[in-house]
Amino acid sequence: MPDTILQIQNLNLKYELEFHRSDSVRDIFVGMIKNPLQMLFGDKDVFHIIKDFNLNLKRGERLGIIGVNGTGKTSLCRCIAGMLRPESGEITIKGQMRSIFDTNIGIQPELTGKENAILLARFIFPEAKSDELKEIVRESLEFSELGKFLDMPFKNYSKGMQAKLGLSLITAKPTDLLILDEVFDGADHFFQQKISQRTLEMIEKSGAVIFVSHNFSQLEAVCNRMIVMEKQNILYDGNVLKGIEYYKSLKR
Amino acid sequence: MNDFRKLFWAQVPYLTLANMKSRYRKTFAGFIWVVMNPILLYGAQSLAFKTFLRLELPNFFTYLLAGLLPWIFIIQTADMATPLLVTNGHFLKAMKVHPLVLLLSQVLDNFINFSFAFIILLIPVCFADGVSWHGLFFLPIGLFILISGVIGMSWLLAILNIFYRDVRYVVSFLTGVMFFLTPIFYPVSYIPEKYRWMVSINPFYNLIQPVRSTLYQFDLENMLKAFGIGLGWSGGLLLLGALYWKKKKNVIYYHI
Repeated sequence: MPDTILQIQNLNLKYELEFHRSDSVRDIFVGMIKNPLQMLFGDKDVFHIIKDFNLNLKRGERLGIIGVNGTGKTSLCRCIAGMLRPESGEITIKGQMRSIFDTNIGIQPELTGKENAILLARFIFPEAKSDELKEIVRESLEFSELGKFLDMPFKNYSKGMQAKLGLSLITAKPTDLLILDEVFDGADHFFQQKISQRTLEMIEKSGAVIFVSHNFSQLEAVCNRMIVMEKQNILYDGNVLKGIEYYKSLKR
Repeated sequence: MNDFRKLFWAQVPYLTLANMKSRYRKTFAGFIWVVMNPILLYGAQSLAFKTFLRLELPNFFTYLLAGLLPWIFIIQTADMATPLLVTNGHFLKAMKVHPLVLLLSQVLDNFINFSFAFIILLIPVCFADGVSWHGLFFLPIGLFILISGVIGMSWLLAILNIFYRDVRYVVSFLTGVMFFLTPIFYPVSYIPEKYRWMVSINPFYNLIQPVRSTLYQFDLENMLKAFGIGLGWSGGLLLLGALYWKKKKNVIYYHI
């Protein structure tokens, strides 16, 4: 029986752009002297990022989100992840959630890749106990094929190496709701295939997945449902291939 | 809230440890390097103000220790915490991380360094100069007030710096100015009556005073007064930091 993992009702997210006039203390100082009234009572620009958004995601659904830049894909994911607090609306999640928006992350660039991985695992899997974390890190590092580079400072890693480390960690463990926002870039061709395999395996075991990408073949490989976002809301919802076609037709 | 407490214990200590490891370059020499900094500054100021300028202040070494070391802790933390959320913006945007976890680890890291330098200096000063033994008992409370205020201040500055990227330069400039306007190496009694108000609105002074009042010329009434004022300041700073964070928690993701 397919049960609902994620339910979003009437979600609204706004963003007040009140800092467009000045982004440094010096500018404020200059502005205050030149035009104090404008500085104090100037208008705010309000952007409606997501408007009356509704979505239902069931167990087993792997949702791809596609849309041109600035349509609110990442903001939507950040709302679900609990990083952004929406203006109004309700987000209900059943079970555990994990969300990743970037894979090239080193928390302490001075430390080695391995030390960073151990630290990072604590943030990616906050629910895991120490023993489990150790196992996750050990397995991921082996998978990453970084070998002797693991003892090199993270700051000396190339983009691809950073991505390998991050990707290996993220894909180590399934969860109920997984959010991946444009994360599968940067690794070399051979690793790309290997990580795709691992990701698919993990996604198979996960409850539901939200996958944001601009890469059509990745979307096809991962997803079984697709939404196209435009102007703060859903324009298309349904089949993956048709979704991609629909999206392409938007720009014609 | 409960969730946050759990996360706090699962993340802050490890991040603090990683900070320290990174800062000490994983060597004992690196540790000495970091701890030597405040000790050298203390030595130089003792020499300059006591021996060269001949400030006539009883128990000068205790006075300077109890003022200068907390001061260094405050400005070093402000200096390192202010750009923290911007330099870690990548990490903050990559997954759900509470910015306070980053800030607390930075404050804790600095506090541990401060504690080592403080203890190394406190032991000889205790025996050679005039530290009040009664007061030592209350020192942890004074330190608690100090660290709370520093957390609040760092929180505020770090968020401000997201929106106004030159805050960090303003802060380092202002702390340079404030060093001379804050009674650290001279006592308040040197300040003419009509300038005293400057001290009463000085957050640095009011956060240092709870610590100093336990060590220097201990007097229960004076200390309690310093505790009260200090608590007011640190509570106020924490509240300001929390409110500002609450107001801006969405917007910061579009600015880092």
